[in-house]
Amino acid sequence: MSFFAILRSIYEGFGITAAVATLGLLFAIPFAVIAGVLQHFATGPLRWIVTAVIEFWRSSSVIVLLYAFYYTLPAFGIFLSGITVGAMVLGFNIGGYGSQSVRAALQSLNKGQREAGLALGLSRFDVLRLIELPQAITAMFPTFINQAIQLIKGTTLVSLIALTDMTFRAKQISELGYNPVGIYSALALSYLILCYPVTIFGRHVERRFATRKAR
Amino acid sequence: MNFNFSFAIEIVPRVLEGIGNTVMIAIISFIGAAALGLFWELLRRSHATVRPVVQFVIDAIRSTPALVQIYFLFFVLPYYGVTLPALLVGSFGLSFYYSGYMSEVFKAGIDAVPAGQSEAAQSLGLSWADMIRFVILPQMLRNVAAPLGAYSISILKSTPLLAVISVPELLGSALDVASDTYRYAEPMFDVGVLFLAMSLVAVAGITQLERRLGLTAPSH
Amino acid sequence: MALQTNSCSGNAAVTMEQLCKWYGSFQVLHNVDLSVAVGERIVVCGPSGSGKSTLVRCINQLETHEKGRLIVNGVELYKGMKGLAELRRDVGMVFQQFNLFPHLTVLDNCTLALVRARKLARDQAEEIAMENLKKVRIPEQAHKFPTQLSGGQQQRVAIARALCMKPKLMLFDEPTSALDPEMIKEVLDVMTELARDGMTMICVTHEMGFAREVADRIIFMDSGRIIEQAAPSKFFKNPEHPRAQQFLGQMLH
Repeated sequence: MSFFAILRSIYEGFGITAAVATLGLLFAIPFAVIAGVLQHFATGPLRWIVTAVIEFWRSSSVIVLLYAFYYTLPAFGIFLSGITVGAMVLGFNIGGYGSQSVRAALQSLNKGQREAGLALGLSRFDVLRLIELPQAITAMFPTFINQAIQLIKGTTLVSLIALTDMTFRAKQISELGYNPVGIYSALALSYLILCYPVTIFGRHVERRFATRKAR
Repeated sequence: MNFNFSFAIEIVPRVLEGIGNTVMIAIISFIGAAALGLFWELLRRSHATVRPVVQFVIDAIRSTPALVQIYFLFFVLPYYGVTLPALLVGSFGLSFYYSGYMSEVFKAGIDAVPAGQSEAAQSLGLSWADMIRFVILPQMLRNVAAPLGAYSISILKSTPLLAVISVPELLGSALDVASDTYRYAEPMFDVGVLFLAMSLVAVAGITQLERRLGLTAPSH
Repeated sequence: MALQTNSCSGNAAVTMEQLCKWYGSFQVLHNVDLSVAVGERIVVCGPSGSGKSTLVRCINQLETHEKGRLIVNGVELYKGMKGLAELRRDVGMVFQQFNLFPHLTVLDNCTLALVRARKLARDQAEEIAMENLKKVRIPEQAHKFPTQLSGGQQQRVAIARALCMKPKLMLFDEPTSALDPEMIKEVLDVMTELARDGMTMICVTHEMGFAREVADRIIFMDSGRIIEQAAPSKFFKNPEHPRAQQFLGQMLH
């Protein structure tokens, strides 16, 4: 099998990789925003509960969570597809980290912004929605890109619960014939093609944000 | 519901057999990642010509999944006649993966040392190596303590990746129990709880250690 | 429940009776009594930490008082009251640090509350915004972002933003203290013009020239108390209280 043939064969798993990553973002983004905002505003028992939920997703090991949810949920009578479990676990894990960025961005906003909005007669919710969140989300954009890369790389783990993503394809090909150098170089290259441009973009954005802040 | 709590408790000792390996992997990988990360960063700073090359290597490391890097080392090294215990190969894989992130930590830590410090060292006639060793590194250590602590937790949480190359750490021994007993739910549940507990304990421990050493970043 | 007191307080814009406020155990306002008539221009001055900012911030409840009564535009304000947002729309506020919204253009800073709080159509809101930007002599900057403007320009935008809501009362909390000296005049000129137009104004400021020219009454505060209030002619010529004499001595020399 030529190197190019291996690459093409691995690429057959791209659909699953992309699906898990995209679905994962759909779990991650709302979770990050809602949990981050709640943790910022909530007091008392609610804050305690939100913090516990965030810490559960953030402090656990993703690979272990993946196995635990995939194998344990059915024993509790909950049956989810592999894609759903993969996207949910990866998404909530990244979302847990994201919630901390949202909260930090809200906290670091000048309180004058909130006061100016209130002084204009906007409701507290409108001040959050129109003034604080847009600025917080802009401020955390570089972090968001880095977390998106983590999510894409994390999708390799779904190969362990028998989803035929790019990594699973590589394992399948390796059973056809002994060519570790070709197969695993091609696999690494496949992810590099996917993530390297995002890494460079993230670096670029980060630099632009740093100079904007310095001005 | 067929989840058996008494079985889940009964197998805890067998799952825990892997904890020694988990800790060992975490320690080797942390030291390896920090050393290699510092090496990348110093190399990146040494000459303008190697800078873009090192930068590409770091970005490439950060753009490929840890699991793929571990597979690569595990399957490709023997092809070239290098046979090492799986635990070591896996730890090298984690070291390599995290070195990409550590290099950025060291970069930020060095950048945060005021430019006047290196100018003063150079005007005193110190060599590049002496300047790094006696002037920059000591000041940098304070800056990197907190992020290194955070990455040590990340590394701990990544150690179960080595189960895929059959290293009997916590997840590996849980998988062994599962294949022996044909019950997956309970061992996986156990290992999930164990890792959450370990990670929370490690976070608390590192926070304590940083406070004890006075290494917490000064709040502005 | 908002208490309508129009009848008993006559045409007062702001009435304070025995107003008290604490930060923890530290009392910042001591039994403050003050009445500001509609159309009146008040300058509040005093040493730093005397409670003058807190006093002004109570008027739109960015700070809440713990004791005493506060009636603004005929409605009594109290902690935890409903409908505060509506009442704040009639009270303009200009901050020391401008507090423009950096993610919005100058024009959008001005139209935001008109569209979202007053529920005006966008083109109507933009018309009002441009009118007020003209009033502060900065209409050509409408499509820039706040960070592209100088401090003096930003503060004038902040004034225009507050004016867009057609407030019955304007509060200024040290509006020129964060500005470079050469930019102070452009902001004071706008404020002076506003006073000429008959706006009710309460200004915390150290600009004694402005106070002398514009104020109907000067309030001097020290340690959370109003210890002297007088017309500028009297206040500047012979202040009664020794603290006021001392303060003026420092300000004018």
